Amino acid sequence: QREEKQLEASLDALLSQVADLKNSLGSFIYKLENEYDRLTWPSVLDSFALLSGQLNTLNKVLKHEKTPLFRNQVIIPLVLSPDRDEDLMRQTEGRVPVFSHEVVPDHLRTKPDPEVEEQEKQLTTDAARIGADAAQKQIQSLNKMCSNLLEKISKEERESESGGLRPNKQTFNPADTNALVAAVAFGKGLSNWRPSGSSGPSQPGQPGAGTVLAGASGLQQVQMAGAPNQQQPMLSGVQMAQAGQPGKMPSGIKTNIKSASMHPYQR
Amino acid sequence: MEAPPVTMMPVTGGTINMMEYLLQGSVLDHSLESLIHRLRGLCDNMEPETFVDHEMVFLLKGQQASPFVLRARRSLDRAGAPWHLRYLGQPEMGDKNRHALVRNCVDIATSENLTDFLMEMGFRMDHEFVARGHLFRKGIMKIVVYKIFRILVPGNTDNTEALSLSYLVELSVVAPAGQDMVSDDMRNFAEQLKPLVHLEKIDPKRLM
Repeated sequence: QREEKQLEASLDALLSQVADLKNSLGSFIYKLENEYDRLTWPSVLDSFALLSGQLNTLNKVLKHEKTPLFRNQVIIPLVLSPDRDEDLMRQTEGRVPVFSHEVVPDHLRTKPDPEVEEQEKQLTTDAARIGADAAQKQIQSLNKMCSNLLEKISKEERESESGGLRPNKQTFNPADTNALVAAVAFGKGLSNWRPSGSSGPSQPGQPGAGTVLAGASGLQQVQMAGAPNQQQPMLSGVQMAQAGQPGKMPSGIKTNIKSASMHPYQR
Repeated sequence: MEAPPVTMMPVTGGTINMMEYLLQGSVLDHSLESLIHRLRGLCDNMEPETFVDHEMVFLLKGQQASPFVLRARRSLDRAGAPWHLRYLGQPEMGDKNRHALVRNCVDIATSENLTDFLMEMGFRMDHEFVARGHLFRKGIMKIVVYKIFRILVPGNTDNTEALSLSYLVELSVVAPAGQDMVSDDMRNFAEQLKPLVHLEKIDPKRLM
């Protein structure tokens, strides 16, 4: 009873793994057939990696200690009928409509193909012929060669990484970040160039921020503070350049002013 | 225009205190494409929205030292879109472990005579700029990538020049006060944009 439960559980796990494998195989085939002109090697590698990962998990499930030896189980068809079986259709997604004499031998076979059987026999006789010692030696040398290769590859990777990646890394410039944030927060470096907040005496040529300021020198005009009573026609709506703050005004204002409009109730 | 139409912004009538949580960073021009692609993958699936906005910042100088700041924005590429008026308070300094800059925020859409109105009220325009860029949304988070252009001739929004070789990237959320888990979500999202952009809490007062 416990064994039955184990069997069922392991069967379920196996089923889900196989289903996953089937899905990824299907999507890979689809990709190859339909997008072959746009396919890139990394994408193919991805699919292969996915498949190999799934095969791995499948293997692990099979080797799991709770999995009973499937070898000891035998599948015997109980009923063969040439009629369509709806249940079977559903479970196999329409691929096996009939559980009949033709289908069963194919699906339930356990004996490998004759060629495969031949090759297996060949391999086993070869292996037996070499003898245990020689076999061990061969195994060891194979392992050594593999580890050498791995070392070489990882060394290469490490060396190239440290060298190659640095120049590409700069995707942002912190100084720019600060400049942009200052511009948005209080207008540093923007059209008015007025030093922010309480204005100390500032030189007429001083931009005030380390930003890219090109060609703006032609726009500077120093506006004297003592011109608060200029009334000039206000441009419609948007185009308003603020000329001078009423009251405190060192000569540090550089704006290209088209209209300086003072509010009658100046503070 | 801050592209979310007014219906998406929370209505601030009444006593709901809305706070804006903000993270900022920048990206160099040549990396903009990769950033846009990454954002398109990360953010809600919608048509990539570009915008061109003209923002003017108005100051009202009172007897106190610090002037009152209002920001007026209008869209240069969307005809008929309403103007936007925004107040942003001082960043809250209760630091704790808050990962984003938090400040009080009041937002409203207005009609087109906004500047006249503000001038009549006594505001003076402090500075203006044109912002041109892309807008993305993820849930309540808004990600804006834009380039700031300085206006050379005041009032002439065609004659502009870029302020720097970078685009400013802002991640912002407008939420009722007290929802600090919002900043955690923002920080997680910001992690996904590294190493392209480093979004962080930048205190504007430090840059004065």
